[in-house]
Amino acid sequence: MKHFDEFSRPEEYISPMDTHLRRIIRKWADEEVIPYRREYDEDWKDHKLIHPAFDRIMGQLGIQKSLFPHECGGWNLAASDYLFRSSYLLCEEIGRADTAMAVALAVSFWPLLVILVEPYKNNRLIQEFAPMFCDTKKAVFAANAMTEPQGGSDIENLGLMKGRTIRTTARLDGDEWVINGHKLWPTNSGGVSSLFGVPCTTNPGSSDPDDFAFIYVKADAKGVTQGGPYEKAGMAADKNSDIWFEDVRVPKYYRAHGPGDDAKAFYQLIPFGQVASTAFLTGAMMNLYERLYEFASTRTYNNRLLKENDAVAAVIGRIAGDIDICRILGHEAAMMGDRRNKPYGKPVISEDVVAKIRNIKDFISDRAVENFGRAMDVLGPYGADREWDIEKHWRDIKIIQLWMGGKQLCQMEAARYFFNCETI
Amino acid sequence: MIWKHCNLFIYKQLHHLIGMGGHMDRTLDRLFIIPTSWMDEEAKGVLSVVSQWAEKEILSKRLDYLTNYQTLFIEKQKKLLLDIGLQRLALNSEAGGFGWDDAVHAPGLACIISEISRADPSLGIISAMQYAALAPLMKDFGSNKKLIKQLAKAYMDNKLYAPTLILPGAGYAGEETPLFKGRSILAKAKPVKKGFVISGKDLRPATNGNKADLFCAVCSGKDSKTCIAYIPGDLDGIKRGAPIKTTGLNACTNSDISFDDVVIPKENLIAGDQAVEWLYTWFNLLSGSVSIGAALNFYEILHEWSSTRVIKGSTLFKENPLCASVLAEVSNEIALSRMLIHDLASLIAKPDHWGDTLDGTTKPYTFSQMINTRVQQGVMNAINRGMELMGSAGYAKEWHVEKLWRDVKTIQSMTCSTCADVPARMDTATYFFDCRSLGQGGAQ
Repeated sequence: MKHFDEFSRPEEYISPMDTHLRRIIRKWADEEVIPYRREYDEDWKDHKLIHPAFDRIMGQLGIQKSLFPHECGGWNLAASDYLFRSSYLLCEEIGRADTAMAVALAVSFWPLLVILVEPYKNNRLIQEFAPMFCDTKKAVFAANAMTEPQGGSDIENLGLMKGRTIRTTARLDGDEWVINGHKLWPTNSGGVSSLFGVPCTTNPGSSDPDDFAFIYVKADAKGVTQGGPYEKAGMAADKNSDIWFEDVRVPKYYRAHGPGDDAKAFYQLIPFGQVASTAFLTGAMMNLYERLYEFASTRTYNNRLLKENDAVAAVIGRIAGDIDICRILGHEAAMMGDRRNKPYGKPVISEDVVAKIRNIKDFISDRAVENFGRAMDVLGPYGADREWDIEKHWRDIKIIQLWMGGKQLCQMEAARYFFNCETI
Repeated sequence: MIWKHCNLFIYKQLHHLIGMGGHMDRTLDRLFIIPTSWMDEEAKGVLSVVSQWAEKEILSKRLDYLTNYQTLFIEKQKKLLLDIGLQRLALNSEAGGFGWDDAVHAPGLACIISEISRADPSLGIISAMQYAALAPLMKDFGSNKKLIKQLAKAYMDNKLYAPTLILPGAGYAGEETPLFKGRSILAKAKPVKKGFVISGKDLRPATNGNKADLFCAVCSGKDSKTCIAYIPGDLDGIKRGAPIKTTGLNACTNSDISFDDVVIPKENLIAGDQAVEWLYTWFNLLSGSVSIGAALNFYEILHEWSSTRVIKGSTLFKENPLCASVLAEVSNEIALSRMLIHDLASLIAKPDHWGDTLDGTTKPYTFSQMINTRVQQGVMNAINRGMELMGSAGYAKEWHVEKLWRDVKTIQSMTCSTCADVPARMDTATYFFDCRSLGQGGAQ
């Protein structure tokens, strides 16, 4: 049997950590997630089954401290030349087992990237938050509390909306920020996170980037209230809920960088999020291949193995071909991020990097939704079985297509870039 | 005309039970048009009652329904199938049914299944199975009075009665099996003195196998000839596997079924490819109708969403050109799918209106395969695209869209039998191009 590792990726893009880190993550996934994942849907609220697996990978194996500098006890990944590619391999390997776990883990990195990645570093906050993640063997989660009830994907559409519709406010009172607002759907909410990164406005209704503030709030701060987790179609390992901030006070220095730079540093998160999304999807699709291979090699149509029937082979061949192409594209997106500090590269917040990475994410999302659906149909009455794992991925990955502004924002970003649109 | 009087009486009972003087949801029917002239007044009357049941019992109190799903599912099902009496809709009038036991009622049955499914596709699929199971016994298809009498007793009893289908599908490597148009037939019917002995291991029902009261299993009989065995669920030798967790249709728990030399009476077997084609034809019509009902409800939810939510701070979703183009695609898929299903119903009901009838059951069978495949794809695409607009709300259980999405996907995969749409394509190519070896285990 061909191995799923044989799906293409540009060999010259592979990071030095790849072999070692993949081996560790795959062993964890094969031993501690895949044998149990069919029970995860029923564990969506309590995470009794899910949480120990998080403790293992994040706390004991130490993935949660990987971004932090060596002097803080971390692996210094945020300062490396292969931040995006290493994140890609991590998200892909975990995504192969369970995309929701991959999301929960990757999103814990998200608010930290705002202060850890050059040129937007904040050493005081790094020192402040590092012990929370580096000095424990337990899983510690973080979240970006971005989406608001009235705003939908506006927060991800910073290029056009420029923070104009943000209603969560930050008011400076002496040496403290006072935060008020209501956020929806952050990954790792519902009581999971210890730390929130909160995009706010210091001047409601303003489109001035200087009025955009990214402020950290510890989950146990007075005035923070989290709702219970939402019940969803899938993604059981990723809890989402409402968060209310009511006169929450945090130190003045909890603002990431200050006027102007907060918006730029925050905008970096969009390409990070999109690259991670492509990795979740290619990981899940590699698992799709594993499961589909088994079905097509053991079941028959017209008394022939499915894979030996020309018409069926055309269907499953297209699925595998799409996975191959998607994986190449995903690595290309990661490499765009890792070129950011090279003379031939461009900043991750540049218009073309944002547009091209969004474009790749949109393309891969569509292929994933299509191919998982198609694979379920190949299995016929077995396609909807939890036993075959494909349906779980099908349910889980749909939200990846929808989040961060979804398909429509990706399309608009591409149009803006390629056609110089000025008003859309 | 006794049955006519009987039905008039039933209507009065129905209106009394529902407690509303009603009319169907004209908004939906005006938007997603179908030729209403294909339904007679009786069908329109029953449909009206079902619409009222759907609105009053489920749609207007959906939150409560979903919160207490296990209990209310049975309660609402009893109201629909027993109190209102739809369980006996497709039974002949002599046996006490509504007398919709002929093909001419296909448009009415399609509409009714859609309307039930607009409230809950799981309820719709159970009714679809009830009617599909009776299709090979229709009066214009050959009469098996003993079997009809036997089934009528169960359908008329004041208990919910749930048949399911076991259709040919994927075979296993290394096992040569009899085929129905390329699909492996894994159940066997062996003639014995008392009737037939049915055997088969780990057979996969379409849905609801865990609780089914009757299995309509396509079997290979004498000389590998195809037949349908009607196997009551309480016979000795039936083994039900563990409940299977599935993507959707969660109220219709499925299990693999094994028949360990189950003996059925002689009359419980209907022989011939034509009977199987006819069973498939009705299964396609009615499962397609379930998905249409889900799609109509999805449209209602999306309409509300896109008319009340804004983007970019002030623009209603539906007034944004990009969002509107997606809404157009959703509408397009649902409208055309609904028309196709009603074309299929008409083809079944009045084959002479659609050309000659020389092809017997093969023509409606082939068109049912083509149409249901297209309908499932269309509805799935509509829901997928609409969910993209709704973002995370489309994914949260609260908005109900994700349930419709899971239910329809489950139906789509179930109706494929195996290999996605490949078997349907082979049927189509065989019909239109006179292919000789496709589906016969022949060379490629």
